[in-house]
Amino acid sequence: MLHVKIPTRKEVIEEEKSKGKRIAAVYPIHYPRELFRVFNIQPVEVWGPPKTDTKKANAHLQSYICSVVQSGLSFYLEGYLDIVDLIVVPHSCDSLQGLGSIFKDFIKPKQELVTIYLPREKNKENVEFLANELKRIYKQLSQLCGFEPDDEKLMEEIKTEEKIDKLVFKFYKSRENLPLSSREFYTILRSREYLPPDKFKSILEYALLHASKGKLKKTGIVLSGLLPEPMDILDVIDDMDAFVAIDDMACCMRRVYGEGHSSDPFERIAERIVNGPPDPTKGNSFDERFEFIKSLADLTSAKGVIFYNVKFCEPEYFYHPILKEKLSKAQIRSLIIENDINEPLPQQTITRIKAFIEMIRESS
Amino acid sequence: METVKSIGIDAGSTTLKIVGVNEEGKILFSIVEDADPKVEEQTEHILNKLKENYDMESSKIVATGYGSNLIKADKKVTEITCHAKGIYEYFKTGGTAVDIGGQDNKVILISKNGKVIDFIMNDKCASGTGRFLENTAWRLKIPMEKMAELALNSDGEVKISSTCAVFAESEVISHLSRGQKLEHVIKGLHRAMVKRITSMIYTVGFNPPLMLSGGVAKNKAVVKMLEEELGEKPRIPENPQIMGAFGAALIGLSQ
Ligand SMILES: Nc1ncnc2c1ncn2[C@@H]1O[C@H](COP(=O)(O)OP(=O)(O)OP(=O)(O)O)[C@@H](O)[C@H]1O
Ligand code: SF4
Ligand SMILES: [Mg+2]
Repeated sequence: MLHVKIPTRKEVIEEEKSKGKRIAAVYPIHYPRELFRVFNIQPVEVWGPPKTDTKKANAHLQSYICSVVQSGLSFYLEGYLDIVDLIVVPHSCDSLQGLGSIFKDFIKPKQELVTIYLPREKNKENVEFLANELKRIYKQLSQLCGFEPDDEKLMEEIKTEEKIDKLVFKFYKSRENLPLSSREFYTILRSREYLPPDKFKSILEYALLHASKGKLKKTGIVLSGLLPEPMDILDVIDDMDAFVAIDDMACCMRRVYGEGHSSDPFERIAERIVNGPPDPTKGNSFDERFEFIKSLADLTSAKGVIFYNVKFCEPEYFYHPILKEKLSKAQIRSLIIENDINEPLPQQTITRIKAFIEMIRESS
Repeated sequence: METVKSIGIDAGSTTLKIVGVNEEGKILFSIVEDADPKVEEQTEHILNKLKENYDMESSKIVATGYGSNLIKADKKVTEITCHAKGIYEYFKTGGTAVDIGGQDNKVILISKNGKVIDFIMNDKCASGTGRFLENTAWRLKIPMEKMAELALNSDGEVKISSTCAVFAESEVISHLSRGQKLEHVIKGLHRAMVKRITSMIYTVGFNPPLMLSGGVAKNKAVVKMLEEELGEKPRIPENPQIMGAFGAALIGLSQ
């Protein structure tokens, strides 16, 4: 147990606004944090949020749209985002692309709307495409903010993000030496979704001070999916004397990008995103995803993979059967479960998680 | 007085099962009752009564099933692990175990040495469980045993297309009101349920032999239809309903 005081999203928004910063509400998944920062804009990500009443969004969305988008739109319609200055919608999947169109064509928000086209697959052309897309966003932001930060400033922000990515990776690697519950670990990690970099960095560094030599003697799990919501899923795992040793989640590990190489800042950000960890929304191959998940299991003592899918999340479903088969051939057991981020975990799902942990413990 | 080494308690969604075993894992007693909402009191009451005839001073208690959280036990284990253990020790072979209870189906692949290799369980939906048949039985005021008998002896079958327990019930009523024979409809209802279970079995990968547990394994029509669908005669323990509690008791022995 570690006592770290992490400010809430609301506190951060209020504080940053009082310092004269603009706030951008950012929908999932990939976006250039550095590009917003250099314009003195604080990104605050909107992953749902869970437990939102989605009735207001239902009028705009088909019933088979995932709860992340349902909640995200309701959250806006309920007025919770009135305080922000920009709305950023990356085209991560069909549903988010649809959300972008709903904002643009129907809702017409008073805030500046920024959409981001993300290319799929790792290659040079896609890096170039994204770099151009980022230049377009740069122009949009400079018109909004009335200034044009130079390449050097942008490069500085990029280097800051690169350092933080490295630190996050260190945090992951120290996971088994940290006296943290899975809920605490992910509360810290996910504060990156809304904290300014210096604040986030100091929280991670403080937590890392508490790393001990002794390792957690618990059954490790790789958690894959979009996000660990409702967070009860983490408690269910911990209750079984197990823990999330590492993850392949969109909100976390899939956004720990490597360093870029280019000296052109736009290209460098594009490299980082395009060449980042495999992600269903980036259309990476089955092999890339399998190798990545396997490498995560190998890096830790994780014994099995839980695919925790948000219901109706199309890109994730696509990979499951083949990933499960490949993992099974590599002697890694896996479990697929799905839930709405707005719903409490059903008893059946809890039983399945528990039985899965019993199974991998028995067989190891 | 015989010494009970371990007690398995399976507090299911529909029934409460309690099994006591001796040191060798031989069943000394087994109790099945409809589950009371206050299952902890119900359990205590049963255990107190048993104490009159058995030495349960040092018995280990392992609980499983939905109600297990409410029960005082030395250990809590999921139904999947317990049914797998019970079935494996009963038949002494790996294969595919299917537990069909009041609210859940579980298909469990068991390895040659008795370990769970994979499993699947219905999620958030009563389709293909005991409740699927019970809803209609209750609506038509026909006892469960009679339902199975009607299905077994029916010379025809009406296709029920709904896999939803709630919709299937109304589909049954609508067939009956259009003059279809009761036994044909009931047989169709059993078929819909068995098809759902069969598809779950194929999802995990069918590895014979097929071994059944849970209360619905007592339904002879379900058993016969499973054989028709899978081309494999299911093996059924003497009392399939207690397999989870039996497995729990055996797990207690190794504590
Ligand atoms: N003789 C019988 N013929 C047909 N069905 C039966 C018979 N006996 C019990 N059942 C059915 O078995 C079901 C109960 O099975 P069981 O006791 O295994 O459930 P449970 O363990 O309480 O439920 P779950 O495992 O889903 O929580 C009921 O749906 C009941 O109708
Ligand atoms: S309404 Fe039907 S499909 Fe839905 S959960 Fe109930 S039984 Fe299942
Ligand atoms: Mg049961």
